[in-house]
Amino acid sequence: MEYKLEERWRRYEKIEFLGEGQFATVYKARDVETDNIVAVKKIKVGSQDEARDGINRTALREIKLLQELHHPNIIGLLDVFGCMSNVSLVFDFMDTDLEVIIKDTSIVLTPANVKAYTLMTLQGLEYLHNNWILHRDLKPNNLLINSDGVLKIGDFGLAKFYGSPNRIYTHQVVTRWYRSPELLFGARMYSTGVDMWAVGCIIAELLLRVPFLPGESDLDQLTRIFHTLGTPTEQTWPGMTSLSDFIQFKSFPGTPLKHIFTAAGDDLLDVISSLLMINPAQRADCPTLLQMPYFANKPAPSLGAQLPLPASLSQAKATKVGTKRKTNDPSSVVQPKRLLFDTSM
Amino acid sequence: MAGNFWQSSHYQQWVLDKQDLVRERQYDLGILSDEEYQKIFIFFSNLIQTLGEQLKLRQQVIATATVYFKRFYARNSLKCIDPLLLAPTCVFLASKVEEFGVISNSRLISICQTVVKNKFSYAYSQEFPYRSTHILECEFYLLENLDCCLIVYQPYRPLLQLLADIGHEDQLLALAWRVVNDSLRTDVCLLYPPYQIAIGCLQIACVVLQKDLKAWFAELNVDIEKIQEIVRYVCSLFELWKTYDEKKDIQALLNKMPKPKTQPSR
Repeated sequence: MEYKLEERWRRYEKIEFLGEGQFATVYKARDVETDNIVAVKKIKVGSQDEARDGINRTALREIKLLQELHHPNIIGLLDVFGCMSNVSLVFDFMDTDLEVIIKDTSIVLTPANVKAYTLMTLQGLEYLHNNWILHRDLKPNNLLINSDGVLKIGDFGLAKFYGSPNRIYTHQVVTRWYRSPELLFGARMYSTGVDMWAVGCIIAELLLRVPFLPGESDLDQLTRIFHTLGTPTEQTWPGMTSLSDFIQFKSFPGTPLKHIFTAAGDDLLDVISSLLMINPAQRADCPTLLQMPYFANKPAPSLGAQLPLPASLSQAKATKVGTKRKTNDPSSVVQPKRLLFDTSM
Repeated sequence: MAGNFWQSSHYQQWVLDKQDLVRERQYDLGILSDEEYQKIFIFFSNLIQTLGEQLKLRQQVIATATVYFKRFYARNSLKCIDPLLLAPTCVFLASKVEEFGVISNSRLISICQTVVKNKFSYAYSQEFPYRSTHILECEFYLLENLDCCLIVYQPYRPLLQLLADIGHEDQLLALAWRVVNDSLRTDVCLLYPPYQIAIGCLQIACVVLQKDLKAWFAELNVDIEKIQEIVRYVCSLFELWKTYDEKKDIQALLNKMPKPKTQPSR
C-alpha cells in the first residue's frame, strides 16, 4: 500500500494545546496550505479492545454526519487524517464557547445579545432537525463561538438520525443539567423535544448567568425541574406513568417564569415556556419557535461584530489589527479555554 | 437513510460519469477485458453478500459495503489493494457506519476464514491470508479514498415508496427488490441516483411478471433515457449470467487480475 496518509498531518502545524476531554485532545493549528487557523481533534485510543475496533465509532459518527451538513451555524469538518486506530478530525477554529461567555462576569449580555445567540442556535438546530438528525448533547460548552461572533453547534459524537418510529434509543444522552424529563424517566423513543428542552435550559442560563437546573443526580434533576416548573400528572402528560423509570414525585405547584427571569420581556418568556414544556408533545419545535413574536420584536439581534468576547480574546483581536500577518505570534496567543469535547460533566 | 439526497455527498460527489470510470479503469482494462473486469466485481459482490449474510447483517449494510467497494475501485486499480482484503474491510466499515450491532474484528476474520474455505474454495485454494491489523490499516485507507463520504443512499427506500403508490403488490415488490440486489453487480450504483435505479429495476420486474403499468410509468416525471440505460446495464448482467460459470472460470480470472506487489507475510 502506498501511503499518502503519513504526510497528511504535516499539513497542520501545531500552535498550542487547547484542551482534553474524555475522548479526544484538541490542538490549535495552522493549515500550511491555506494559512487558516484550524482546530485539530485527535481521538484518543483507549484500551486494546478499542484499538482493535479500528476507527473510533464516535469519530466515525461525527465524520459521517458532518460530511453531509453545511450550514453557517454548524461546525465545519475540514479534513480527516490519521492511520490505523489513530484518527484526527480538522474543524473550523472557534475561539471560544458559550459557557466561557456566560461565566465571564465582565461580559454584559444585553437582550440583543441573548436574542442573537438564541437565534443562531435555533437556526443551526432547525437545519439539523430538517435533516432528521438529533444532536442529543446540546449545552453551552458545545455552542462554539468565533471571533466574528458566529455561533456554531459542535460535537456530533452523540448525534443520531431519528424518525424511524420503532427505533429504540438509549436515554443516557445529554449532559444531565440539560436533559429533558422524558429522558430522565427513561424514555427510549424520543424526538426533537430533547434538543428543544436543552435550548430552553441554555436560554435560561444566558439570562441567569448560572446553570438553570444544576441537578446533582438524576433524581435531584427531576426534583429541580418539577420544583421549578410544577409536577406533571398523567392528565398533563399522558403516558408519563408508563415510562420505564417513572417514579411519583411530590406535587409541586411550580414558580411562574416571570418571577425567575425578572428581566425578561413577555415575548421571551413565551419562548422559554414553550421550550420548557414538561410534556414533550407540547414542546415547540424550531419552525414554530422561530415564528414567535420575540424574534421579530425589538431589539434586533446583535450583529456578529457587536457580540462580546472574553476580555483576553478581544484584546488579542485589537492587537492583531496592526500586525496583520503575524496573527500567530505566540506571545499574542491567549488561552481561549478548552474547546471541550467530552460528554462527562 | 434519512436526510436530503440532493444536498448529500452521494449526489454531489459520487454520481460519476461513464467517462470517469473508463479513464480510472484504463490500467486494469489494459490487462483484463471489460467482461473479465465485470466478472471479478460480480465475484467480490458475492463475497461481500455472503460475508454479510454470515454476520447476519441487514441488506442495507451489505449494499453500503458493496458500494464502498465499488467506489474504492472506481478510483484505484485492483493492484492497489487486494480485493480479498478490501471486501471484508468494506463490510467492517459499513457495519459501523450503519450502526447495526458490533462486529468484532476477530469475529470478522474468523468468518472470512470459514467463508473462503467452505464457500469459495473454488476460487481460493489457500486459507484467507489476512489478519486484524491488515483490516485496520486498510480501513483508514478506504475512508480516505471515499473522501469521508460514508452515507450511501440505496434504491430500497424509493422502491418501497413507488410500490406504495402502485398499490401493494407483494410479488412485484419481492422481484423488484431482488433486481435491485442484482444491480449491485453492475456499475449503476456509481452512475445513477438511487431513485432512478429503483424505477429501472421496477420496470424490469414488471416485464418479467408481465404486468402492464405503462400508464403509471408514463406519469412519472423522470428522465426515461436514464431509466433505459439502467435497464440495459441490468439486462446485460442477466445475459452474462446465462452463459457464465463462475466456479469454472474465476480462478483463472483471479490469477490474471493485477495484484499488489507485496503479498501479506504470515
